Amino acid sequence: MTRILYLFVAELKREWILLRRYAAEAISGIIGLVIVFYGLFLSARYVAGPTAQLGDRLDAIVVGYVLWSLSIFILGDIAGSLQREAQTGTLEQILLSPLRVSYLFLIRAIANLSIQFLLNLFVLLAISALTGSQLSFSLAAVPPLIAVVLGAYGLSLGMGSLALLVKRVQQVLGIVQFVLLFLLTVPIETWAGSSQIFGMLLPMTPGAGLLRTVLAQGKPVELVPLAIALVNGCVYFGLGLVIFWWAEKIAKRQGKLAGY
Amino acid sequence: MSSGRAQLPPVFVYLSSDDIMLVLTASHLRKTYREKKEDLLAVKDVSLQVAAGEVLAFLGPNGAGKTTSIKMIAGLILPDAGSVKILEQDPHLNPKALRLLGAVLEGNRNVYWRLTCQENLEYFGVLRGLHPKQARLRSQELLERFSLTHKRDRVVQALSRGMQQKLAIAVALMHQPPLLLLDEPTLGLDVEATEDVKRLVREIAVEGCAIVLTTHQLAIAEELSDRVAIINNGEVTVEESTDELIRQFSNSAYLIETQESIPLVQQQKLEALGVELESDRRIHLAEPTLLYPVLEILKPLPLLRVEIDQATLRDVFLKLIRQP
Repeated sequence: MTRILYLFVAELKREWILLRRYAAEAISGIIGLVIVFYGLFLSARYVAGPTAQLGDRLDAIVVGYVLWSLSIFILGDIAGSLQREAQTGTLEQILLSPLRVSYLFLIRAIANLSIQFLLNLFVLLAISALTGSQLSFSLAAVPPLIAVVLGAYGLSLGMGSLALLVKRVQQVLGIVQFVLLFLLTVPIETWAGSSQIFGMLLPMTPGAGLLRTVLAQGKPVELVPLAIALVNGCVYFGLGLVIFWWAEKIAKRQGKLAGY
Repeated sequence: MSSGRAQLPPVFVYLSSDDIMLVLTASHLRKTYREKKEDLLAVKDVSLQVAAGEVLAFLGPNGAGKTTSIKMIAGLILPDAGSVKILEQDPHLNPKALRLLGAVLEGNRNVYWRLTCQENLEYFGVLRGLHPKQARLRSQELLERFSLTHKRDRVVQALSRGMQQKLAIAVALMHQPPLLLLDEPTLGLDVEATEDVKRLVREIAVEGCAIVLTTHQLAIAEELSDRVAIINNGEVTVEESTDELIRQFSNSAYLIETQESIPLVQQQKLEALGVELESDRRIHLAEPTLLYPVLEILKPLPLLRVEIDQATLRDVFLKLIRQP
C-alpha cells in the first residue's frame, strides 16, 4: 500500500513538473474550455431573449459543463496516456513495473485528476465570473462527485482497453464526448416511471443529476438516490477494470503492447 | 554525494562467491501471431540460460525472432508455449518477478524526454519499487557513475544520443536487477559513446548482473560476450561459449604477408614444399608445421605480418545463418 502511495506521489510530481515546464499547454486548455462555454452561454441567452432569467437553469448548465469537461478529461486520460507513452516509446518501460498495468494507469489517472481538478477550478471561477452564475459549494456534493468520477474511470478503463487493442481511439473518443454531454446533462431527476429506471442505469447520469440538485438548486442529498449513484459508479468502475484486464491479456497474447 | 554512496549497498548484491547462479532460464519458448487469417511463426523454439555475471550475445538476422524472444522474457508478450524463469520466478504469472529485470529496448526512447536525467531516474526508481529516498540516493550514485552528474538537471531531449542511451541503461539499473536485457544498446552511437557503453556493460557484468545483449554489431558482441546464442528462423541453432565458437570456426592455418613481392626462386621453393600462394606477397599456410621452413625460405625478406587465420564472430554468424 505504501508503494502505491509513493507511486502516486511520484506521478503527481511528474505531472506537476510537466505542467509547470509546459504551462502554455495547460493555460491554452483552460482558455479554450472557457471560450467554448462562453460562446454556448451567449447563444443560449440570445435564443432565450434579452429578458429571460436563466437563474437555476444557468447554474445547472455550468455544473453540467464543468462536469462534462472533467469527465472528458478522465475518459480520455487512460487511453491518451497509453497512446502517448506508446508514441514516445516509454510504454514498455512503464509495463516493466511490478505493479499491474491497470493499477498503474489508474494511479496515474488519479494523479492527473488531482491536477485537473485544480485546472477545472480555474475554469469554474472564470465561467462564474463571466456569467454571474453563483454556485453554492457544499461538502454534500462530494459523494455524488465520487460516483460520477468512479463511472468516468470505468469508461476510461474501457477506452484504455480499446487503445490497448486497436491503438487509435481518437475517432471513438470524439463521438463519446457527445454521448458524455448527453449523459451528464440529461435531467433524469425530472423523469418518471420506467424512463427514470433507465436513466439510473446509464453511466454517471444518477451522480450528475444529484450534483445538479446539490450545487445548482442548493437542495440536500437524499440517501436513496445517492446510494443508487454510488452503486452505479462502482459497477461501471468494476466493469472497466475487468475489461481492461481482459484487454491486457489479449494484447500480451497478440504482442500488441509494444509497437504502434 | 560521496556520503550518499557510502550508505548504499554494493551495486549488485546477489553474486555469491564462486557458485554459478542461473539468473535466467527460458525454456522452449514458442510464439505464433495470427495476421490476416494466417499464422506467422515468430519464435519456434528458444531456450536460453544466463548465469550471474555472464554476458550472452543473442544474435540473429532481422526477423529471426530476437525481439519477440526478448519481449517474452520481459513479460511483454505471452508465449504460446514454454516458460520464463528469472531466479525461479515467472514474470508471466507473477508481475513481482519484473522487479528482477531491467531492460533497454531498441526502437524506444525508454525515458521521458521532457524530464531531466535526475527526474527520470527518481521516477523510474519509485516505479520499480524503490522508496523515494532510496531512489534519490541511487540516482545520484548512477549519475556519478555514468558521468552524467553535470547533466542531471538537463531535460533528456537536450542530451546527445550517447548520453540518452547511457541514461536509459542507468534507469534500467535503478532497482539493481539481477538480469539486464539490452536490445541494440549501441545502435546509432558514435565511437566514443559506444566505447562508454561497452565499458559500462563490462563493469555491470563483473559486478554480477546477468546480461542478454542483442546487437547487429558483431565485433561488439565478440568483445563483450561470454557466450553466444544464434537464432535463425525462430530457432536457436547454436549456443556456445564465444571463444569456443570462434575456435571451432577458425582453422589452424597461418597467414603470412611480406612487404615486397616474393622473388620467383623463392616462390618455386615454396611451391615445392606444397605451400599455396594467394598472391606474390601473401601465403596461406594450411599446414602449421611448415611455418618455420617457410620463414627460412622467405629469409631475409621483410615481413608485414604472420598471424593465425582466425575467424571472427562475423564469419561464424554468416556461415551459420547461411546454412540450409
